[in-house]
Amino acid sequence: MSRPRREVQVGDELPPLARAVDQQQIDAYAEASGDRNPIHLDPDFARTVGLPGTIAHGLLDMAILAEAVGRWAGAYERVAELSCRFSKPLLPGETVTCTGRVVAVDPAAGTATVQLEAVSSRGERVLTNGRAVVRLAG
Amino acid sequence: MPDPSHVGRRYVALGQVVSTDRVAAYAAAVSGADEIFSPGSVPPTFAAVYCLLPTLAEVFADSELGIELSGLIHVEQSFEWPVPVRAGDVVDAAAEVFSVEDKRGLTFVTLGLEATNQGGETVCRGRSLLLIRGDRR
Repeated sequence: MSRPRREVQVGDELPPLARAVDQQQIDAYAEASGDRNPIHLDPDFARTVGLPGTIAHGLLDMAILAEAVGRWAGAYERVAELSCRFSKPLLPGETVTCTGRVVAVDPAAGTATVQLEAVSSRGERVLTNGRAVVRLAG
Repeated sequence: MPDPSHVGRRYVALGQVVSTDRVAAYAAAVSGADEIFSPGSVPPTFAAVYCLLPTLAEVFADSELGIELSGLIHVEQSFEWPVPVRAGDVVDAAAEVFSVEDKRGLTFVTLGLEATNQGGETVCRGRSLLLIRGDRR
């Protein structure tokens, strides 16, 4: 596993993380998180609110984004900040791919700022305005 | 429906246990059975479990505010973790209505989040932008 050290540079790219998300994983996330909003679990309900069917939790998409950052950082504890916009829904059966690029390094603070996004296999930009601050290993 | 008079309302969920079992179940639901990091390592977005969802439950219980789970669309989320959350922590979580805005007939609510551990350290701060899709009558 790569471990960013202080020689991390602006322009460095995170290894992309692709994950196929099916309804079983969405169900598992609902159970593990306690978020049982029916738009994630009940296709009939989801259609009544104008969705094509169930959608993944935005926080599941964000959790996969966090995993991409955590893998690069070497530990979840190094993720100091994470934010994103839930722009498009991820549908069960699609693969989400998370990418990121270092946009700033603060040697004094020992942190790097990473710009992030997540795109679905349909080409939809699922997560936009993604940003993380990572504590670099000393 | 929420309106600007509700700004400043605060909802607390005390004693949220960051249990090793729940952390492991959450990590497996996100990443599969592979243990990516050391056991007990808390996925950052587990903040949904110890902070966002329990305080949202209190938000839903406020009938004057009139927000329900099935009427929510999560638009944006930011979190920061000034001190890492550890398995075994017991945290007090709070959410405050920062703003209620009407944009083109849609109601947007911003919640500010904070979670404090048993030692009084702030382990998480956050901000949730929610679109409320309720009936407008």
